Amino acid sequence: MTEEAKTPPVVPINANQPIGEVLVFAEQILGQLQPVGLELLGAGRDLANKLERPLTAIVLGHNLGDIPKTLIAYGADKVYVADHPDLEQYRTLPYRRVICNWLEQMPVEPHTMLLGSTTTGRDLAPRIAAHFKTGLTADTTELDVGDYEHKGGADPSKIGLYANCLYAIRPSFGESLKARILGPWKNPQMATTRPGVMIPLKPDWERQGEIVQIPVELDPTDYRLVVKETFQEVKKGVNLADADVIVSGGYGMANAEGFELLRQLADCFENAAVGASRKAVDVGWIPYIHQIGQTGKTVRPKVYIACGISGAIQHRVGMQNADLIIAVNKDPDAPIFKFAHHGIVGDVYQVVPEMIRQLKQNQSATTKEVSSVV
Amino acid sequence: MSGSLNILVLIKQVPDTSSKAGLNPDGTIDRAKAKRMLNPFDRFALQAALHSKKVTNGKVTALSMGPPPAVEILLEAIEHGVDKGFLLSDRRLAASDTLATAYALHKVIQHLGPFDLIFTGLQTTDGDTAQVGPQIAERLNLPQVTYCEDFSIEGGKLHARRIVEGGHQTVVSEFPALVTVANAYHHLEYKTIRGARLVQELQRNEELKAQYIQTITLDDVGADPELCGLKGSPTIVAHTDKVGQIGGRCVMHQGKSIEMLVNEIAAGTNIKEFVRQ
Ligand SMILES: Cc1cc2nc3c(=O)[nH]c(=O)nc-3n(C[C@H](O)[C@H](O)[C@H](O)COP(=O)(O)OP(=O)(O)OC[C@H]3O[C@@H](n4cnc5c(N)ncnc54)[C@H](O)[C@@H]3O)c2cc1C
Ligand SMILES: Nc1ncnc2c1ncn2[C@@H]1O[C@H](COP(=O)(O)O)[C@@H](O)[C@H]1O
Repeated sequence: MTEEAKTPPVVPINANQPIGEVLVFAEQILGQLQPVGLELLGAGRDLANKLERPLTAIVLGHNLGDIPKTLIAYGADKVYVADHPDLEQYRTLPYRRVICNWLEQMPVEPHTMLLGSTTTGRDLAPRIAAHFKTGLTADTTELDVGDYEHKGGADPSKIGLYANCLYAIRPSFGESLKARILGPWKNPQMATTRPGVMIPLKPDWERQGEIVQIPVELDPTDYRLVVKETFQEVKKGVNLADADVIVSGGYGMANAEGFELLRQLADCFENAAVGASRKAVDVGWIPYIHQIGQTGKTVRPKVYIACGISGAIQHRVGMQNADLIIAVNKDPDAPIFKFAHHGIVGDVYQVVPEMIRQLKQNQSATTKEVSSVV
Repeated sequence: MSGSLNILVLIKQVPDTSSKAGLNPDGTIDRAKAKRMLNPFDRFALQAALHSKKVTNGKVTALSMGPPPAVEILLEAIEHGVDKGFLLSDRRLAASDTLATAYALHKVIQHLGPFDLIFTGLQTTDGDTAQVGPQIAERLNLPQVTYCEDFSIEGGKLHARRIVEGGHQTVVSEFPALVTVANAYHHLEYKTIRGARLVQELQRNEELKAQYIQTITLDDVGADPELCGLKGSPTIVAHTDKVGQIGGRCVMHQGKSIEMLVNEIAAGTNIKEFVRQ
């Protein structure tokens, strides 16, 4: 007690700086709001509450309909809307200009700005960050705010305690590390976040919020690039995002035929898809669209069956939110057993065929039950 | 056909993580011991640059920023047919984040340019941000084509196909432009015989090598050291966490017949609920 009383409280260096809002870029494609914007509002709400500042969203497009109201229902206090025919489709230069102009006229710049790690978010965020000469962390998987004490480094002028910093957390280079990246020296503190990682709030359609139309003043140089056509591809049976069950294979599958076996296991389930680790993709056993992890897709199925996957952090960030993780690996010390819920120590070429056999048996058993009832 | 283009490709040397050399037991990299390689994503950028050179009868310059050993990847680029290489190497660049890296590289580009087309890889395997390209484009006020999977040069314009969420998109851009090349682009072709011979000669003849590869510093390009390295970087890695236990303790099934192990899973979890009926 006396110990504590002796040390005077340290005043954070940024104690007197005004704190701005938390701003989320809500992406739309052909008038369809993308889920990542709602996920970011879920994460942003938490940050805004901790900072005791409003949560705002910015959306650009044309004839946006109910999108602003939806953003309010999902947690935004205020929505900035830029509606213009030339903003209908995403293009770097016009979007960048409208957003940068809007931020520039704000009396206090946002504390934090979040974008999705989509092709659009990753195209746009670095332009905005470079324009404001502020920090940007790519592909985060966790966000928080908190204090930070800068103890040293090349620039002594930065030493000291900072309050209310954005913690942008992402898996880092190497097998098992997560890096917490900070940039409290300049606002907005920016991050892009993986789709599928953050959880949207339950929509509250009674929620009140403000909708602000913002000016659109484009420059002739913004038209140096034109979009000719955008093709949405029909998904061909690789619907990892909506599958209840994902059967995923790694380097332990040993060859492309191994993935055929996994497909058979997936076929035992009603709504299943096949996933893969990057190592299996890199050696060409299965196409990239199946890749799960930091440089692939993020998934949240009800069941994830990992076969011959070691469980490196870059894989784990893409699947750790599955409700049930079952791992099959012949090495009892494989890192995947540290976070799977059930682990089978064994050879995939013995375990997977046995799984198929038992599930099929189960299937015919229930079919029989059903038919006898009918 | 368009006139011949002045093309730049940005390449980076990264640690080779496919070899265990230099990988500490905790998963961090010992950069001094690690093997080095050309960033795998930059091979696609190099191919895109060489293709543009071929179809426009142009000239390709490769630029890299990094410590002196990065000359190795510039030599590799010359073996593939690049005309000239520049290495920006300066102690004051240490610990640059993407903003500082993009600042330094854009100063070099202004110094060496103007270029009609600038290619970068989609991302690096060590930084892994995909930010440096667009940040350079912002500094240079250029249009950009990110996630480019294929392109042609027609009527003095760049016609490109890029990857977007759930599909792809075709765009047409004026020159100059910056393109980040996706790994769906064509693989890097083999080294040219002429390139390989030239590099053999360069390795014997320092004077000749200096005509093909130049190492430059921040002062050579008039870059402000305050905007580089740790000083010029708005972000820092404050903390690295070992990834802790998540998802609850794993129930292990082992040491019995495979049939029993699988049976325990079927009985101990809800997977049967998802079985196709
Ligand atoms: C920047 C960066 C981004 C990355 N992004 C991703 C990503 O998006 N997704 C991703 O997955 N990885 C990614 N990685 C790679 C990641 O670090 C790992 O290298 C990769 O996930 C390992 O794949 P694996 O588990 O299939 O292979 P390995 O690590 O080689 O593991 C194979 C496992 O199979 C087991 N095994 C072997 N034979 C059998 C058998 N017969 N029966 C049962 N088990 C067997 C072994 O015990 C071992 O545990 C990334 C890496 C970096 C540096
Ligand atoms: N130090 C560097 N030297 C040259 N090019 C770089 C450097 N860092 C990044 N780049 C380029 O920018 C791309 C994206 O890198 P990153 O933002 O680090 O993922 C790379 O593929 C390179 O083409």
